Amino acid sequence: MKKVALSVVLIMVLAMLLSACGTQTASQKIKIALVLPSTVDDLSWSQGMTEGVKAVQKELGEDKVEVAISERLGNPTDAAAAVRQYASQGYDLIIAHGSQYQSILDEIAKEFPKTSFAYGTGYQAHDNIFAYDPQSQEGAYLQGIIAGKLTKSNIIGIVGPIEAGDAIKYNVGFQQGVKSVNPNADVRVAYTGSFGDIAKASELAKAQIDAGADILTGTAQQTVGAIKACAEKPGIYWLGNDMDQSSIAPDTVLTAQAYNWKDVVMQMVKFRQEGKIGGEHLVLSLGNGGIQIVVNQKLANVIPADVMALVEQTKKDIIAGKLTIELPK
Amino acid sequence: MINQLLEFSTIIGILTTAIRLATPFLLAALGEMFDQRAGVYNLGVEGVMMLGAFIGFWVSLRTGSSYIGILAAIFAGVLMGLLMGLVSITLQAEQGISGIGLFMFGVGLAGYLFRITIGYITNIEGFQPIKIPILGDIPILGTVFFNHNWMVYFAFLMVPISWFILFKTTWGLKIRTAGMTPEAADTLGLSVVAIRYTCLVIGSVAAAMAGAFLTLGHTNMYADNISAGRGFIAVALVYFGRWNPWGILGGALFFSFVDALQLWVQVLGLKIPYEFAVMAPYVLTILALVLAARRIWEPAALGKPFNREGD
Repeated sequence: MKKVALSVVLIMVLAMLLSACGTQTASQKIKIALVLPSTVDDLSWSQGMTEGVKAVQKELGEDKVEVAISERLGNPTDAAAAVRQYASQGYDLIIAHGSQYQSILDEIAKEFPKTSFAYGTGYQAHDNIFAYDPQSQEGAYLQGIIAGKLTKSNIIGIVGPIEAGDAIKYNVGFQQGVKSVNPNADVRVAYTGSFGDIAKASELAKAQIDAGADILTGTAQQTVGAIKACAEKPGIYWLGNDMDQSSIAPDTVLTAQAYNWKDVVMQMVKFRQEGKIGGEHLVLSLGNGGIQIVVNQKLANVIPADVMALVEQTKKDIIAGKLTIELPK
Repeated sequence: MINQLLEFSTIIGILTTAIRLATPFLLAALGEMFDQRAGVYNLGVEGVMMLGAFIGFWVSLRTGSSYIGILAAIFAGVLMGLLMGLVSITLQAEQGISGIGLFMFGVGLAGYLFRITIGYITNIEGFQPIKIPILGDIPILGTVFFNHNWMVYFAFLMVPISWFILFKTTWGLKIRTAGMTPEAADTLGLSVVAIRYTCLVIGSVAAAMAGAFLTLGHTNMYADNISAGRGFIAVALVYFGRWNPWGILGGALFFSFVDALQLWVQVLGLKIPYEFAVMAPYVLTILALVLAARRIWEPAALGKPFNREGD
């Protein structure tokens, strides 16, 4: 029994020693941990954030920023273990990239009051929790204008993941954008029930196309499957989300709403340096450059100049606050 | 809206979708049926599918030929079958646990290999649909059944072939004996170990092909977790189909038809909450499994390691 007690004490001392070392290095450089629901190469949600964090690291210097990434933690329970581990290893900013991580952060953040945590899409920020919040309905509205003007069949298909968070905002904004220029167009919303089932997304896109849709859009990492399905049918266009996805289908992806995660991460790093370790609700919008509409240059001539002008004008109206997009409560 | 659902073009769409969706289930479940008929259940189907999907895609991407890709996937399936055999037959480990181990190994390995060899989302040509002459020109039926790529035809052809092998050949009799009364098979001078190994390799090759179908014949791309649980549904379909190829065909078609129907119901905007639509195929399958829970067709020695000393 004595031996056991002794070894427990020894381990505790060793652990304290290690954590002491951890905080020492932390004061010299900022350590960012990223917990992702999918993978760094998903060509959408997770890859966008990864590139943002890497860009911050590049700008501030590799020796100033340390980055650790954990992938495939879509299940919040698994993610909680990773978040807790990063926190106890002395990471300064832990980004759990998904709305599903809100409740686990609420719990863990109390145990590590000096660590900054961040999650999104969300808006509830506390003492040491940042919430980032892409206004995906804004870019979606602009893409809706493009879709409404370009559709020939008057049927537009949405390949949705699960009706939650970002997907709702995107779909609502998109539908309103379509209706603003083409009230007769039929926007058909369907969900696969998954974020990552690319085969199902592919099949749903095929069904949308067979049922008459000629322009499709959608959110989440599974959309790559839908994009490929669109690429196999001539005359079908895809409007992307999260990041520029034209690399997989250069003749199909017209535009994309791309999130500028670099600014968000940089903002959080700055807040921390100023002594503010959380409590901020960080919005990504057209106004602050957090959202951009990227046009695939190869297909730039597909969108007529007057449509592009309307998109630009609407963008100005949204930024100026002249146009607000109604979201469901 | 309901009228739209009953239009010919919609019905054709639903049925064509169902046939495509059924293909990976059919391949994987028929393979798993051979495993179980010989007395071993392999819960690692999902892992084998994932590895087959990746290897098939990677080799197709590098060589430019999906046929070489499918051969590579088959080879990966052979290796995974031998691995499962080593653990569950030779070392006589608990089959459920070793199957879960194989699942995790396959998923992890596929993800890891993808990262170090390709590392970004890209796509390939894949297998193109082959319209069957004459049959493909029949209205409705032609589009639904005879305008797919070769893997779809292969999967459906495997149903009568598996049935014939299992019930009309001596080899099939040996397989069934190894799964029912391995001691009797042993007494007759059959090698239970060899039969079970062979069936595991067949099952694993079929699972690898099912995975490769997803990347080479369906999505024409690879992304993380592409199989998305289909391997486990395939195992459930073996029970659903009562270890009979025709039953498995019925189960795979039923599940896929409901799945295709719910996708189309959503696309056509019928006012059903999408959550109910999405879970419909799973709920109905569970219901059917419960209603058909009599296990009199189950191979008697399923899950029991064979040991000559008879302990």
